[in-house]
Amino acid sequence: MSLKSLQQREQLTGWILITPALVLLLLVFAYPIARALWQSLTTQNLGTELQPVFSGFYNYTRMIFDGRFWQSLRNSTVFTVISVALELILGMGIAIVLNQPFRGRGIVRTIAILPWALPTALIALVWAWIFNDQYGLVNDILLRLGLIQSGINWLGEPTLAMLSLIIADVWKATPFISILLLAGLQSIPRDLYEAHAIDGATPWQSFRQITLPFLFPQILIAALFRLAQAFGMFDLVAVMTGGGPGGATEMVSLYVYATIMRYLDFGYGAALVVVIFILLVLAVAIASYILNKLQLKNLQSNS
Amino acid sequence: MLTLSCLSILLSHIPAFSKQPVTLTFLAGALDTQTWKPIIQQFEAQNPDIRIKAIEGPNASNTVEDLYTTAFLLGDSPYDLAYLDLPWISKFAAAGWLSDLSRYISDADLAEFVPADVVGGRYQNQIYRIPALSGAGMLYYRKDLLNQAGLSPPETFTDLINTAQTLQKQGRIHWGYVWQGKQYEGLAAMFVEVLAGHGGFWVNPETREVGLDQPPAIAAIEFLRQTVQQGISPPGVTTYQEEESRRLFQNGEAAFLRNWPYVWTLANAKDSPIQGKIGLKPMVHSPGLSSASCMGSWGWGIAKTTRYPDQAWRAIQFFTSADALRQIALDTGLLPSRRSLFQDPQIVAKYSFFPDMLKVLEKGTLRPPIAQYAQVSDILQRYLSAALTGRLTPSKAMQLAADETRLLLGTP
Repeated sequence: MSLKSLQQREQLTGWILITPALVLLLLVFAYPIARALWQSLTTQNLGTELQPVFSGFYNYTRMIFDGRFWQSLRNSTVFTVISVALELILGMGIAIVLNQPFRGRGIVRTIAILPWALPTALIALVWAWIFNDQYGLVNDILLRLGLIQSGINWLGEPTLAMLSLIIADVWKATPFISILLLAGLQSIPRDLYEAHAIDGATPWQSFRQITLPFLFPQILIAALFRLAQAFGMFDLVAVMTGGGPGGATEMVSLYVYATIMRYLDFGYGAALVVVIFILLVLAVAIASYILNKLQLKNLQSNS
Repeated sequence: MLTLSCLSILLSHIPAFSKQPVTLTFLAGALDTQTWKPIIQQFEAQNPDIRIKAIEGPNASNTVEDLYTTAFLLGDSPYDLAYLDLPWISKFAAAGWLSDLSRYISDADLAEFVPADVVGGRYQNQIYRIPALSGAGMLYYRKDLLNQAGLSPPETFTDLINTAQTLQKQGRIHWGYVWQGKQYEGLAAMFVEVLAGHGGFWVNPETREVGLDQPPAIAAIEFLRQTVQQGISPPGVTTYQEEESRRLFQNGEAAFLRNWPYVWTLANAKDSPIQGKIGLKPMVHSPGLSSASCMGSWGWGIAKTTRYPDQAWRAIQFFTSADALRQIALDTGLLPSRRSLFQDPQIVAKYSFFPDMLKVLEKGTLRPPIAQYAQVSDILQRYLSAALTGRLTPSKAMQLAADETRLLLGTP
């Protein structure tokens, strides 16, 4: 038996072995994506009695002039960028604190993860009451401190409503990031820090030159996870503001939901989904590219 | 024993002797299924050949709408009957999910129901829903405060503002008037009343004409903005749904409240601070016009895909009978859709406010019964919310809303 045919047989075995996985992937990923692509090229709504009628790129041109789509896209982007950035910074701080040895650390760690463990829809209800202008906790505290004279209308003013959503999301998702980063911190060998300190490095230098580079994979994973999640945020917004006031906090997910489930406009809904999907893939690609660049720069400046 | 069971097996296979009962399934909010349970039990006792299976859904009406939508979209829906809210009818009918009930019921029979409830069940001259429980937006007021101040309940929008301000100035109450101003379906329902009360209209379902950019609509928004600007309503009213506004009213912090019938029972409960101190009346209106209350009512329809339409109709006939609705009214205080029941001695003896309620219902106004209602409503909600929170001027907001609605409906 020649070497070549042996190689061929091995390759064949390899293909046979991965076929089930490939078929599964095609079924759960490729088919729905292809279907959405096809649907986005049709008009299928109450006007066509829910039957698909091929209409080319009509849905995509309609999107260009759809102010509501652009507004929701802007809202989602603002919400995602600000909340994920805050969560990363705060999550890092909490992770470092939780990594220090102190009495009752186990309990504090458990408590710290609680917000993440609670269902978002419930949390959203609670936050909506916290930001209520009459009975809300936030206004009550501010009034008692004498910082304001009358209750602030948190959820009724566009910027404040967005801020309230971001605060609620940061409260909820920071523990997730801090736990991920804590796991990363624990895998960094202690002696590195000791050696570094003996060489005369300050704690800030240690953080920059040891912690950050070693923690990089965890930071990347946490950031990408949260990026995709925050961009698709639905339940928090649906319960707290419903997209209001005046659409100022409507996220793309809410708009897609309304288009498909409430307006029964399946063709246009599919087109929205396709565009958002492409944008999200692009965003994740750009984010990981930038983070990789930073990592490389860091390594070079260290060596 | 053995022969007996053999016999029963044998018998059960002969259709003439014993027929397998037919099961009819429907979905409704958990609270609604509780309301209907006694009626269903009676129906099953009288009709051994039909079983009714109630699927308990979430209480929020829009979530139930989504569940029905998903089920119907899949083609072979598991539901035979449908328990339907008013704003769904046109969409479900246009999508071809409901059966036309014209062949079962005559116009004379339909005349026994509250007119707006019947009209709301129609789409393109066919009837898709038989009304069961009615409801409409109404104005609640603090009888005790008005008596103390020697004032009468307001009739017009100006009355409402003046009366509320007087009560506030005299220090009798903190807030004058609370309503629902959050961007959601309730905002559209509330606005329909203020709009029609000013003599305006939203969408004409026949001609598809849009009236949002006409003077009455601007005046309607000005009235709502005035309540906030003059400190009659709390600034946060633009974030309130039904419950937030009810809480303020029920805690004795507001003199007037716009809300649905459910508030009456809660506000008059034993633990309520305002028990026995409240009155209710139809919504206020402009001088020379009549008041308009937004209808929100429930009824029964038949799914197009059911295999048992005739059995389903028998169930609907029973569910919407005067006896069934009387019992629900007596048990729960919910309003029946049959007009005769509002004078029913048994009901009036228990709920003296029922005759007043009928006056509100008879003046009921519908949200536009068109297939694209959900989208039309969202357009209004967005721009109305923007106008109420001062991001757009009323005329600019309504101009945009009207243009977008016309574009959607293809109105020239």
